[in-house]
Amino acid sequence: MIATLLKINWLNLRRDYVALGLTFVLPIVFFSIFAFIFGGMGGSSTESSAIEVIVVDRDQTDISARLIRALDHQAALHIITHPKPTQNDSSPTPYTREQARTLVRKGKYPAAVVFPDGFARTFGDFGGGGKPVEIIHDPSNPIVVPTISGLLQAAAITAAPDVLMEKGMEKFDAAGGALTPTQRALVQTFKPILRGLTVAGEKKTLAADGQTASSSPMLSGLVNVKPVDAGKSDDDENTKPRSLVAYYAAGISVMFLLFSMASGAGGSLLEEQERGTLERVLATNIGMKTLLLGHWLFFSFMGIAQIILMFVWAAVVFNLDLWSPRHLLGFVAMTVATACAASAFGIVLATICKSRTQLGGVSTIVILIMSALGGSMIPRFIMPAFMNTTALFTFNGWALDGYLKVFWYENTNTPLIQAMIYILPQLGVLAAMTVVFLGTARLLAKRWETA
Amino acid sequence: MRDAHKNFGQTCALAGANIELHDREWLGLLGPNGAGKTTLVRAMSGRVRLDRGVITLMGLQSDATSAGADGRTGLGTVPQEIALYPLLTAAENLRAFGSLQGLARRELHDRVAWALSWTGLSERSNEPIGRFSGGMKRRLNIACSVLHRPRVILLDEPTVGVDPQSRHRIWEMLRELRKDGASLLLTTHQLDEAQDVCDRIVIIDHGKTIAAGTLSELLHETIGAERQVTLSLDRPVPELLCQRGFSRKGGNVAQRQVTDLATELPIMLAEVKKTGAAVNDIRIETPTLQTVFLHLTGRELRE
Repeated sequence: MIATLLKINWLNLRRDYVALGLTFVLPIVFFSIFAFIFGGMGGSSTESSAIEVIVVDRDQTDISARLIRALDHQAALHIITHPKPTQNDSSPTPYTREQARTLVRKGKYPAAVVFPDGFARTFGDFGGGGKPVEIIHDPSNPIVVPTISGLLQAAAITAAPDVLMEKGMEKFDAAGGALTPTQRALVQTFKPILRGLTVAGEKKTLAADGQTASSSPMLSGLVNVKPVDAGKSDDDENTKPRSLVAYYAAGISVMFLLFSMASGAGGSLLEEQERGTLERVLATNIGMKTLLLGHWLFFSFMGIAQIILMFVWAAVVFNLDLWSPRHLLGFVAMTVATACAASAFGIVLATICKSRTQLGGVSTIVILIMSALGGSMIPRFIMPAFMNTTALFTFNGWALDGYLKVFWYENTNTPLIQAMIYILPQLGVLAAMTVVFLGTARLLAKRWETA
Repeated sequence: MRDAHKNFGQTCALAGANIELHDREWLGLLGPNGAGKTTLVRAMSGRVRLDRGVITLMGLQSDATSAGADGRTGLGTVPQEIALYPLLTAAENLRAFGSLQGLARRELHDRVAWALSWTGLSERSNEPIGRFSGGMKRRLNIACSVLHRPRVILLDEPTVGVDPQSRHRIWEMLRELRKDGASLLLTTHQLDEAQDVCDRIVIIDHGKTIAAGTLSELLHETIGAERQVTLSLDRPVPELLCQRGFSRKGGNVAQRQVTDLATELPIMLAEVKKTGAAVNDIRIETPTLQTVFLHLTGRELRE
C-alpha cells in the first residue's frame, strides 16, 4: 500500500514541472544568488566587493598624502579622488567636499573621506585632540563607517610611523621627562628607517593587517573620525534625520506588491478561464483589449492602495517622513508607476501560464529571484558590482531606486520640480515596463480569443 | 450555417456541417461526443473562426475570415458549465452580465427583476450564489444569457446534472422564452427531452450533418414505417407461429416486425388464434429518437 502511494506521489511530481522546479531548481538558484552576494564580500573575489570611497584632501600635506596612498593600497577600498577623465576634460579637478557629499547623498558612492585643513598639524595627538577626518556616509549602509574608520587607523600607523614616533616621544618628553641627547639621536636615526620600511612594505603590511588593525581597540584613536550623514545639512542642526524605515518599507512593499498582483491580476484571469466566465464575458460585446485593461486598471488601484497602506503605517508607527510635500509628491508618482507596472506584470504572467497552479509556481520563482537581485531582500549596497548591474534588469531594482530617491537620496535644497526630474528615469522605466507587459499580455491573450 | 469547416491542428472538428434555425423554432442539435457540436455552437457565438463556410444570423452574414456572425448582439449563449461569479449574489451576477451585454441602467434594473422572478430566485436574490443548489445555479446560468432579450438562444446541455423538478422548471422557463419569440438551439444528450421539446432535430457526426428534420421525418428517412409488435401468449410459442415469421423471445413471447400496423396486426392475432393460443398482452414499440440516433451514429463508443 505504502509503495503504491509512493509511486502515485512520484508520478505526480515527475509530471509537474513547476513543482519540480520549485523543489530542486529554485533552492539552487537562490543559493547561487546569496553565494554571489556574500561570497563576493569576504571571499576570494574581494576585488569585486571593494568599497568605492571618494577621498577629498583639503589638507594637501605630506601626511595626508601618505594616508591617502595607504588607503589606496587597501584591498577593501577603492579610492576615487576625481571624476573620470573625458574627451573634453582629460585632467578633471579633484572632488570638493560638497561634490563628494552630493554624490554620497545621491547614492552614487557609499561614503567620502575628507581630510580637513590642518589635519597634519594635529595628526598623532595621542590624547585624542587631532582634527577629525570626516566620513560622509549613507546611513542606509551601516557597515561603511566602522570599516573605513578601522582602515584609517591602520593606514595611520603604517603610513606615518615616524610621525607617530616623534609625536609619541614629545608626549613622553612632556609626561616622563626629557630624553638624553643620546636617546634623542637614536630616535632621529630610527625615523627615516621606519619611514623607509613603511614605504617599501606599505602594500603588503596593510593588505595583511588591515583587518586586524581596524579591530584593535589600542589603535582606534590614532585618527579622529567624525561621521557625517550625507543627507543632513551642515548649517541646519534641526534637520530631521532620515529614517531607515523608508528603505525597508520600499523593499517589502515592492516584493509583496508583486506577489499580490501575480495572485490577484494573474489569478483572477485564470480563475475566470477555469470557471467559464471568461468565455461568457468574451461572448458579449467586450473585446479582449477591454477585458485586459479592466483587470489591469482594477489591480493597479489595488496595488496603489496596498502601497499607501504600507507607507502610512510606516509613517504612523515608525515615524517615516511621508507628509512633507516633496516626499508626498514623489511617493504618489512612484506608487502609481510601480502599481501600474506590477499589475501589468501579473497579467502577463497569467497569459503565459495555463492554470492557477502553474501561475503560483512560476510567479514564486520569478518574484523571489527578482526580489533577491533587485534589493527587496538584501540591501544592494552589500552586493558585488556586477550584481548591482543585474538589478537593473529587475522590476524591483527600478522601483526601489525610485522610492529611495524620494525618501533617502533626496536633496532637500533642490526645487520640487528638480526633485521630480530626479526620479524621472525610474518613472520612465516603470512606465515602459507597463507598456511592454501589457503589449505582451495582449499578444499572448490571443489563445483566449477566437479559436 | 452553411458548409462549415474547422480544423484544430490535425483534428477535424467540422467538415461541412449545415444547420438552419427558423424563426421561433426549437432545434435540437445531437451528436456523439466529439462530433463537433460544441465547435458548431462556439462558431455561431463568434468564439470559433471557421476555416471555410458561412454563418448568417438574422440576415447578417459573416464568412470564414470574421469571428462569428455580425448579428451576435441578438444572440444569447448559455454555456454548459455554471459560468457565474460564486461570491456575487444572484442579483449582482445578473447586473454584471446584463451590463456587459450593454443594457442601460433602467432597462437593466427591470430585466434583473424579471430574471429573478422568472427563475424563482427573487427571495434569494441577495445571497451569494455559492450557497445555491445545482438547480438554482442552472436557472441563474440561463437567465444571465437572456437578459438582453436575444432572438436566438444557444443552449449547451442546459439541464445537465439537475434533479427532475429543476429540469421541469427549466423547460418551463425555456417555453416562456419561446412564447416571447425566441428561437432556441439546444445541444443535449438527453434524447428523450429533445424528442419531447424540439420542433426539429439535427444530428451531426464527424463534423458533418448526417440528418435533419422532424422526428417523424427522421424516422421515415432512417427506420421507415417499421414497428415491432410483441405478443405475450398463455403458453410457449407454437412452432407454427415461427414458421409464419414470428421470432421467439423467451418461452411465451413472440415478436414480429410490421410496416403497416393497421393491416398486419389483425392478421397476426388471427394466426395466433388458429394455433389455439391466447394473447395475454400486446406491446407495439414505436421507434424513438434514440433508435434513430443509434441507427445513424452506430453503437460503438466515441472517446
